[in-house]
Amino acid sequence: MLHFLVLGAVLFGLFSMVEKKGAEAPTKIVISASHVANLADRFARTWRRSPTQQELQGLVEDYIRDEIFYREGRAAGLDRDDTVIRRRVRQKMELLANDMTAAEPSNEQLAAYLASNRERFSTEDRVTFHQVFLSATRRGSALEGDAKQLAAALARTSPAVNTAEIGDPFLLGDEFNEMSQSDVARTFGEGFAAQLAGAEPGHWQGPILSSFGVHFIFIDERAKGRVPPLDTVRETVQREWLNARRIEAENELYRTLRGRYQIVVETTPDAAESETAR
Amino acid sequence: MIRLFAIFRAALANAVAASLFATAVAAQDVTTDIGTLDKEAVEKAFPDKPPYSPYAGRNFPTRPYFGDTHLHTSYSMDAGAFGARLGPKDAYRFAKGEEVISSSGQRAKLSRPLDFLVVTDHSDGMGFFPQLMSGDPTLLATPPGRKWYDEINSGKGAQAAVDIITSFGKGQLPKDFPTPGTPAYRSAWRETIEAAEEANEPGRFTAFIGYEWTSNTGGNNLHRNVIWRDNGAKASLVEPFTTLPPLGSPNPRDLWKWMAMCEEKTGAEILALAHNGNLSNGRMFPIIESFNGKRIDREYAENRVRWEPLYEATQIKGDGETHPFLSPNDEFANFERWDKGNLDLTELKKPEMLEFEYARSALKNGLKMEAELGVNPYKFGLVGSTDAHTALAAVEEDNFFGKTASSEPSATRATHPFVKTDKAVIMGWEQTASGYAAVWATENTREAIFDAMKRRETYATTGPRMVVRFFGGWDFEPSDANNRLPARIGYAKGVPMGGDLSDAPKGKAPSFLVAALKDPIGANLDRMQIIKGWLGKDGQTQERIYDVAVSGGREIDASGRAKASVGNTVDVANATWSNTIGAGEMITVWKDPDFDPALRAFYYVRVIEIPTPRWTAYDAKYYGVKMPSEVPMTTTERAYTSPIWYTP
Repeated sequence: MLHFLVLGAVLFGLFSMVEKKGAEAPTKIVISASHVANLADRFARTWRRSPTQQELQGLVEDYIRDEIFYREGRAAGLDRDDTVIRRRVRQKMELLANDMTAAEPSNEQLAAYLASNRERFSTEDRVTFHQVFLSATRRGSALEGDAKQLAAALARTSPAVNTAEIGDPFLLGDEFNEMSQSDVARTFGEGFAAQLAGAEPGHWQGPILSSFGVHFIFIDERAKGRVPPLDTVRETVQREWLNARRIEAENELYRTLRGRYQIVVETTPDAAESETAR
Repeated sequence: MIRLFAIFRAALANAVAASLFATAVAAQDVTTDIGTLDKEAVEKAFPDKPPYSPYAGRNFPTRPYFGDTHLHTSYSMDAGAFGARLGPKDAYRFAKGEEVISSSGQRAKLSRPLDFLVVTDHSDGMGFFPQLMSGDPTLLATPPGRKWYDEINSGKGAQAAVDIITSFGKGQLPKDFPTPGTPAYRSAWRETIEAAEEANEPGRFTAFIGYEWTSNTGGNNLHRNVIWRDNGAKASLVEPFTTLPPLGSPNPRDLWKWMAMCEEKTGAEILALAHNGNLSNGRMFPIIESFNGKRIDREYAENRVRWEPLYEATQIKGDGETHPFLSPNDEFANFERWDKGNLDLTELKKPEMLEFEYARSALKNGLKMEAELGVNPYKFGLVGSTDAHTALAAVEEDNFFGKTASSEPSATRATHPFVKTDKAVIMGWEQTASGYAAVWATENTREAIFDAMKRRETYATTGPRMVVRFFGGWDFEPSDANNRLPARIGYAKGVPMGGDLSDAPKGKAPSFLVAALKDPIGANLDRMQIIKGWLGKDGQTQERIYDVAVSGGREIDASGRAKASVGNTVDVANATWSNTIGAGEMITVWKDPDFDPALRAFYYVRVIEIPTPRWTAYDAKYYGVKMPSEVPMTTTERAYTSPIWYTP
């Protein structure tokens, strides 16, 4: 918390210094040598060459013109009701808050963040299964009868039996490792995925229909989604952590600065003035 | 003959009726000079029996990943002008299967998520539209900027859009138009990168960083998409290459230089893929370079093949496999052709341009160039993508969200002109609901998918997610088509799509293992074809189509063709069809009957689906409108694999 108060104070100090400097010499414009070099640099970045003397002079002149109009315009209050300028300045403040909070998080911070946001980083539930497939294309009208026979046979089979060579070949193979529900749906269709989701591990189930034919499936393992160790998701956690910090920093800065203001919102002309809560 | 039943297993032998399983020959002992070699001894000496799990220890790709390498959002100047309001983040969310509200205010969702996506906004003027709409002061300080802003805010957006695009074409853009180096540009690029970083979930969904380099001199499409293998840390070290001088250039040679610079400077790995040769008016696959009028040289060829491993052969602005003029004997060639002119229809098409625009003729000319230069500039793999300017990669016929925000579903989108000039008109109905890129990667990560793209292990689909396998080698036998795991035998005996064959063993012709599985929620397959192109002894290129597997028991004749049609079950009025014709899966081994080991050649597979309702039929049904008689109401979706090349 203190951190943000300090940040707020720093920002505030920064801006009042700028103000003061301008106020001390309202009619003097000093363009330092480093500023001139800066203008030249920017030109070089755009055009891929250094400006000529004449061009540089033009840049300086242009800057002076900018500055004079800017000061005079501000003095005349032209910036005050301009939503575009206001939004721009607000964005700059927010960016400043971001920059000042951009720090490398420690291991402990990341681990704590991971622990308190488990559901965001945990992996999907996975299922490992193998199948015996009867192809609609290959079997045609015999498909239904064959499926019945196979169902009866598999029901009497011990789970350990090797079925890898039974039934018809399937282009993607007969074993499917650690597939998420969405992987299953993408490969076999939604209906198949829904039936598989309800199936129990450890014995043959089916027939399950897909648009390819009839499948008998044996679920070897279901793995619940789990929170991975920090090392494997460090980058993601760090990104999320930074993002959370950024939002927090912005809000804190806002709260701190807002604390300095008494805010009065006038509602309808009839209603009494109300002071908003801080 | 397909063997229906596999090997008998002892444990099941008595339990199962004989019709389901065939018995295998029992292992026999073999007597040799050094005594009887019994089975047990052999197994001890050589544990050649693979582990129970045929998947253990393998590291080849086991499933294709489907995605879109080409999608625009509101960050693209023209997309924004046409009313796109969804940005890169929305694009990734939609691709991941989430429901979004489209720019025209309609709820939109994919039938199933994609596996990967590249948001490729135009590098020229990237972020211009969001900048304009947010009332950026520097832009509003210019007279055109202020005019467009006011027009859009007073409901005259279309007028502003036309004006913006025309100004871009003429190079008359306001002074503070975002170019690399300006704050507005940098912030648009940074947001593009951030959106990809946020959406990228290794193992589940890949979000690539990329952009489109939109070279469009004279309205002739030479566009390329640029894709990073790496993360944002590297991509943010540079800003995209544009086409407007002085920072950019419309010449692809300069793009390649920039890519080389980018790799060298940042340590990143990038690739580019071109698209819509059909709108380049003879310039996409040149033999004579349009920029200097000279015959392409070795330097061009080397750079092109180094930086552009893939070509986007099908998308919403038409299909680019081949053209009836180029392939008069190909009855499937007349498919979704856009052949009236260039991209903005300022120049009409002439037949002699076609040869330098289509994928098949470019693959053929590549063989010719290779013979001449020693390098084949057009050795590319094939993918499809959408090129939608809506942030929505939605190209299924019954879920087609069009090319631009103004061609999102409506009763009138089909009958409104899409492009109209004094020379020609392209109507809304001519938009093609196509396509996606399928990539045989080992896992769903940026690195694995990128690497698979580099080795061209990819295929194009016009929308359906069919699985297509294609391997070439010297030793495939018909029985390999009955293998339990075609991929294992495919990789063991040959090279996958995108690969190379050479050193033909004496007296042997190349053989190919080809397999396809229909989209699990899509239509059956009509046939699988191999398309062969070669460079004859006389230096002339040739092509030939072979039907290698056809559904429904039709005959493949002595010339390798099945001329009988698969039939048609489409009920146009109700926009339905049935899978009562065609086949759900196909697998075969094919050997080239006309192989000459002295001649350069390539082979690729085309898989054709049975006819299904075209998106125009779904529109007509949903909106209860009658389409004009020239509007096609059925389509035959298809897939094109990357070729396998034979080099003597």
